[in-house]
Amino acid sequence: MRGARRTAVIVAFLAALAIGAVPSVAVAASVTEQVISRLNRQLLYLAVPIAVLVEAILAYTVWRFRDNDEPEPTKENRQLEITWTIATALVLLFVGTASFYVLAQPTVSTVLDDPQRNAEPGNAPEDAVEAHIVTEQWNYTFEYPEENVTTSESLVLPENRTAYLYITSEDVIHSVHVPELGLKQDALPGQYNLLRTEPTEKGEYRLYCAELCGRGHPEMLSTVQVVSEDEYERWLENPESALNESEANESSANGSATDGGP
Amino acid sequence: MLDTIPGVALAAIGLAVLAAYYRLRSDRPAMSFADGGTASVTVGLTGTEKPAGILRWFTTVDHKDIGLLYILFGTAAALWGATDAMMIRTELLVPESAVWNVETYNAVFTTHGFTMLFFFVTPVFTGIANYVLPLLLGADDLAFPRINAIAFWLLPPSLVMVRGGLITDVIGMVVGVLPVDVTLFEALEPVAMGWTMYTPLSVEMANPQISVALLGLHLSGVATTMAAINFIVTVFTERPPELGWDKLDIFSWNILVTSALILLAFPLLGSTLIMLLLDRNFGTTFFAIEGGGPMLWQHLFWFFGHPEVYILVLPAFGLVSLILPKFCGRRLFGFRFIVYSTIAIGILSFGVWAHHMFATGMDPRLRASFMAVSLAIAIPSAIKEFNWIATMWNGRLRLDAPLICIIGAMSTFVVGGITGVFLASVPVDLVLHDTHYVVGHFHLIVVGVIPLAMIAASYYWFPLITGRMYNQRLARAQTVLLIIGTFVTFIPLLILGYMGMPRRYGIYPTEFITLNQIASLGAFLLGVSVFLWLVNMIQSARVGPVVRDADVWNLKETGQFTREWQWFEDRLEERRGKVEPEGDPGSESETTRAVDPDDDAES
Repeated sequence: MRGARRTAVIVAFLAALAIGAVPSVAVAASVTEQVISRLNRQLLYLAVPIAVLVEAILAYTVWRFRDNDEPEPTKENRQLEITWTIATALVLLFVGTASFYVLAQPTVSTVLDDPQRNAEPGNAPEDAVEAHIVTEQWNYTFEYPEENVTTSESLVLPENRTAYLYITSEDVIHSVHVPELGLKQDALPGQYNLLRTEPTEKGEYRLYCAELCGRGHPEMLSTVQVVSEDEYERWLENPESALNESEANESSANGSATDGGP
Repeated sequence: MLDTIPGVALAAIGLAVLAAYYRLRSDRPAMSFADGGTASVTVGLTGTEKPAGILRWFTTVDHKDIGLLYILFGTAAALWGATDAMMIRTELLVPESAVWNVETYNAVFTTHGFTMLFFFVTPVFTGIANYVLPLLLGADDLAFPRINAIAFWLLPPSLVMVRGGLITDVIGMVVGVLPVDVTLFEALEPVAMGWTMYTPLSVEMANPQISVALLGLHLSGVATTMAAINFIVTVFTERPPELGWDKLDIFSWNILVTSALILLAFPLLGSTLIMLLLDRNFGTTFFAIEGGGPMLWQHLFWFFGHPEVYILVLPAFGLVSLILPKFCGRRLFGFRFIVYSTIAIGILSFGVWAHHMFATGMDPRLRASFMAVSLAIAIPSAIKEFNWIATMWNGRLRLDAPLICIIGAMSTFVVGGITGVFLASVPVDLVLHDTHYVVGHFHLIVVGVIPLAMIAASYYWFPLITGRMYNQRLARAQTVLLIIGTFVTFIPLLILGYMGMPRRYGIYPTEFITLNQIASLGAFLLGVSVFLWLVNMIQSARVGPVVRDADVWNLKETGQFTREWQWFEDRLEERRGKVEPEGDPGSESETTRAVDPDDDAES
C-alpha cells in the first residue's frame, strides 16, 4: 500500500502539472469567443487531469504487475463497476450542463429566442449591424443591405456592436469559419443561416471556408476587420479605400497577418 | 447518360464474373446448395480435396481460406490507403501546393477515406472473424460458406471501381505514349468530393468516375451486409448446445453486435448512394434544393455514418478484450459489463448522427438532445477502459508484442475518447468542427486502437495460422514505434485544430508549418513501423521457427487454453501422427477439414 500512496502523490503532481499546461487565454475578440473558450477551458480543467490520471494508472499497472510473481485470480466486483459508471456519468452530466448553458446563449445559438425560427434577412434589430455573407465557388461577397454597400474585400464590423450575419450560398455548401472570433456556420444553398455575435477587440481576423467545396477550397479565404465605430462609419461612406491606413497599424498588433496563401 | 456507361459496363463485367463463378461451381451436386451450405454440405465435401495451386484460392469456401483472403485483401487495401496518407503528409510538409496540386490532394484524401473505411478495416476484421469465430464457437464453418465466398469476391471489383480513377489515369498515361486515343481513360479522374460526399458538390462535379465509385461503394456495402448476416446466423445457430449465451466469448459478442449494426446501417447507405446516383445521372431531385434539400443527404449519410464508426471499432474492442487476459494470466474483469457496454454502444450509436451537423444551423433544441446522447455514449466506452485496467491489476503481465499493442491501444483510446467528448459539446464543436482537431481525434482511434488491435491479433494468432513463430524482438520494436508514431502524428493535429486550421486544405497559412511538419514526421514513423510489420509477417511465415507445442502463450497453466488453440493442438498432433508431410508445414492442408468440432468443444 506504500506504493499506492507514492503513486497517488505522483499522480497528483502530474495532474497539477497538466492543469498548468492548459493554455491561458488571450483577450477574447468577441462575446461568442469569450463564452466558448471559457467553456472549453472548464472542460480542459476536467479532461486533462482525468486523461493524465488514467494514463498514469495504466502506466503504473503495467510497471507494477509486469512479470508479477503473485498473480491473483480475477474477482468480480460489482460495486467497483457501478462506482466508475456513476462517476463517469457525473462528469459527463457536468459537461452536458455546462455546454447547454453556453449553447443557450443568443450569441452561440441564434434560433433559441426565436419561436418562428425566422432566420430570414431583414429581421435584425435597429441598433445592430446587418450583413449578408454570400458564398460561391470560391469567394465571399459581403452585403450591407441597409447601407447599400457590397464588397468582396473583407467583412468590416464595428467594435462592441451586435452583428447579425445572414449566411447563404449560391452553389454548393460552404462555411464561414472565423476561429479567433469563435464563429462557425455552414452556408447552405437555398436558405439563410443566422450568426449573431458582438466583436469586442479591434483587429483583422482570418475567415476560412470549412466545408469542402471543390478545387478552390483551400484558397477560399477572406478576412474580418473589426474597427471602431467611427472608422466603420467612415468606411461605409467610402468602402474602397478608407480602411487602409488603420489596417497597417492594427494587423501587426494582433498577430493575425494577411492570409498566407500564395 | 454518357457518364453512366463505364459504371454499367463495369457492373456487367462484375455480373459476368459472378456468373462464370457459378458456372464453374455448378459441377457440384445441385442439392448441396439447397440449404446454402450448412453442416451437412460441409460433411458432404469432407472427402473432396481442395484443388491444388491458385485454383484453390479462387474456389474455396473454407472459412479459414476465405479469412486469409479477406486479411490479405484488407492488408493490400491498407497499404494502398497508407500510400495516400503518406502523400497527404508529404504535401502538408510545406504550406504551398508544392508536391501535388490541389485537385490531386483532394482526390487523395477522398480515396484515403474510402479505402481505409470500406476496404481496410471491415474486411480485415471480417477476415479475422472468418478464421477464428467458427473455431471459437466450435463450429465446423460459418453458416453459409458460399455466401461467405461471394461476399469476399465482391470486394476486389468494388475496390477497383471506387479507385478506378487512379487506375485509368495510370493506364491513360502509359497508353498515352502510344499514338492512340486516351480520352476515355482521361475522362475518369480520381474522385475528389470527400468521403462524406456532401451534396450538392457531389451532384455537380462532372467527373463520371464519381458514378462508378458510387456503384463500387454500393457493391462493397452489399458484400459487407452479406458477411454480417452470415456472422449473425452463425453465432445464433452454429454453437454447440453446451455453449450458452453466458459462455459465448467476448470477440464473438462484439462481432455479433457489429454485424447487427451493419445489418441496420449499410442497407441505408446503399439506398442513399442509389439516390445520389439517380440525382447525378437521371435528373431526380432527392437532394436538390427544390427537392429534399442538401440536408437530406447529411441526415441519411450520417445515420449510416455514425454507426459505421462503431462498426469499425467494436471488433477492435473485442480483440482487446479477448487477447488482454491471455497475457495477464487471469480472466477478463467484468465480462458481463463489457458485453452490456458493447450492446449499449451499439444501440446508442444510432442516436448520435446529427453531432456531425452541429454547424449546419439545426434547431438548437435538436442539437442539445444529440449532444446528450453523444455524451452518454462515452459512458460505456469508459467502462471498457476501466475494465481492461482492472483486468491487468494484480495479474501477471507478460510484455510480449500483443500485450504491448493492447497497452498502446488503451493509451491512445484515453486521448482519442476524451477528445471526442469535446466534440460532443455543441459550443466547442462549433469552433473545432471541420478543423484538424477532428482529424486528430478520430485518427487516435482509427490508427491508435484499430490497427493496434489488428496487429495484436496478427501476432497472437500467427503461430496458429502459419504454424511458425514471428520474430518477437522485431515485433516489440515495431509495436512501440507504432504507438510513438500515433502520438507524434495526431497530437499536433489536435493543437492545429485549436489554432483554427481547417481540414481538407492542401494549401495552408504559413503559421501552421511547424506542427504540420511534426505530424508528417510521425506519419513517416508510422510508415516505417508498418513496413517492419510487413517484413516480419512475410519473413516469419516463410522461414520462422516451426511451432511444435500448441501452447505458444502458456495458456494452459492459467486455464485459458481456448477452443481455437485446442483445435490447433489437435491438428498438430494429427499431423505428427501421420508421416510428416513434405513442403511448407505452415500452410493449410486438407486435414483441417477432418477435425471433428465436437471433440474440442470441451475446453
